[in-house]
Amino acid sequence: MGDIVVLVKPALNPDMVRTKPDGSIDIDAIPLKLDDIDANALELAKQLKSALGGKVVAVLLHKWGSPARRNRDLRMVTQEALARGADEAILVSDEKLADGDQIVTSQVLAEVIKKYVPEYSLVLVAEASIDQTTGQIAGRIAAKLGVPFISYARKVEVADGKVKVERDVEDHIQVLEAPLPAVISVTQEINEPRPPTLIQIRRAAKKPQKKLTASDLGITPQPKKEVVQYRILTVTRKQIIIEGDTLEEIAEKLIQALEKEGVI
Amino acid sequence: MASVLIVEGSIGEILESITVAKLVGGEPVVLAYGSAAKSGDLGSIGARVYKLDAIHPDPIFNAVKKLYEEIKPIVVVGHGSKNNRDVLSRLAGLYDLPMGTDITKVVEASDSYVVYERGFLSERAVAQEKVPLPAVLLVNAKVFEPASPAGASEVVELPVEEGQVKLVGRLEKQLSGINLEEAEIIVGVGRGFKKKEDLKLAFELAELLGAQVGATRPIAADYKWLPEDAWIGISGKRVAPKLYIAVGISGAPQHMAGVNNAKIIVAVNKDKSAPIFKFADYGVVADLYQFLPVLIKKLKERKGQ
Repeated sequence: MGDIVVLVKPALNPDMVRTKPDGSIDIDAIPLKLDDIDANALELAKQLKSALGGKVVAVLLHKWGSPARRNRDLRMVTQEALARGADEAILVSDEKLADGDQIVTSQVLAEVIKKYVPEYSLVLVAEASIDQTTGQIAGRIAAKLGVPFISYARKVEVADGKVKVERDVEDHIQVLEAPLPAVISVTQEINEPRPPTLIQIRRAAKKPQKKLTASDLGITPQPKKEVVQYRILTVTRKQIIIEGDTLEEIAEKLIQALEKEGVI
Repeated sequence: MASVLIVEGSIGEILESITVAKLVGGEPVVLAYGSAAKSGDLGSIGARVYKLDAIHPDPIFNAVKKLYEEIKPIVVVGHGSKNNRDVLSRLAGLYDLPMGTDITKVVEASDSYVVYERGFLSERAVAQEKVPLPAVLLVNAKVFEPASPAGASEVVELPVEEGQVKLVGRLEKQLSGINLEEAEIIVGVGRGFKKKEDLKLAFELAELLGAQVGATRPIAADYKWLPEDAWIGISGKRVAPKLYIAVGISGAPQHMAGVNNAKIIVAVNKDKSAPIFKFADYGVVADLYQFLPVLIKKLKERKGQ
């Protein structure tokens, strides 16, 4: 018996990258969205909820720049997490926690879980985020909570106080078993999240939401990682479109070009 | 001299990580698990080696933790394999170490900090970050030259210390066994193919060129039209052929990140505004179902000459 925590990241949307004239990334101009694989984690939580008998709590931390400029995005991501099956949401947003590194993020999230969801039996985390893609938050939190950790889950079952997981390794699948509570990182292949229905979206507005700051958690952030720069990736390909009156002509020209390059 | 702890599951990765250890100026100490622990070459890499007969994370983590406390390395380095990311993120969490992942370049290294580069925003951007030591660094494959084996190593076998997570079974994946990382020419297939049977066009093209066939995430991981080891991209394989022919691939950055190191990229796509054309050296705007048969015919004629 216990609650399921799903960590949800308001992530920078990589499909809407904005740059400054000097080629550096304009972080404040990129909209936030609910991170892709977080939707898979929420879907899994919905499936496991009845077996564990508790509620699903989405825990969000705002990390990109001043939260004051991000109110609308943060509200939307929180609403979406609730519409996708969370029963309540806890959002941590604080100027002091903005632009922290993974040390700060994991300290904050572990502290929220310990203080506000102490009866948890599972913590579900995406294998990686779409903006930073470091894939290290789940392991860090497991270490801080001092509970078993299973990564890259493709299938999760709970019964008799235990969790059984099919874990994806590069060339095979490991079947692992651990006592609860546990931290699990999930892959995108674990399920196909259904988009929330209108009714679910409407109900989401009425679900409980809590907002926390660094001082609620007693945390003074001390990040160690320093960002030197973020810059747009420049592509240096030739970008030659091969044209011709017929497909035969185009194929000929392509073959000639590749022969000239010495690659066929 | 300060130590660098190398944690790896394969022997080739150990040699690349020794190069990274030299870059940061530390004496390599190696923890080899999985297939690396069974390699006959382990005795000749010229570093202190600990081997561990384990393939799942808990025993590997317990060994890493013990070695970390014993040798107090300035850097823990390894490749970004799933086991490494699992155990080293736990180590980073336990000691609040900064952890740089998917490193594509070391910009600067000293005995107190390292500056490196990595992909950001699903590889549309590059992040340059600076971490104080001690730190954990996960590097990408084939970024660093493998060190040459430097003579006899002292190899010590560590006892397997289980944790709370037990390995109770193993399932095999359906794999093709092809080694895309070594392929000189790769034909990549994407969602422009409407059904699995149509992939035979790509295979016919590949056969004519002596190429292998790779795929985007949907084709290999979601539809399962090809085995998973054909999946190219951030979460799949990173390849470096001299020629990559992308057929029916839109050019999502998550896929393109896996082929950044190709010498020449050709794109065939019927949508002239597809992002793939920005990532290609040569583009053909055409329906693959019409163009591939013509290209195949022309290549056959060329072969026959």
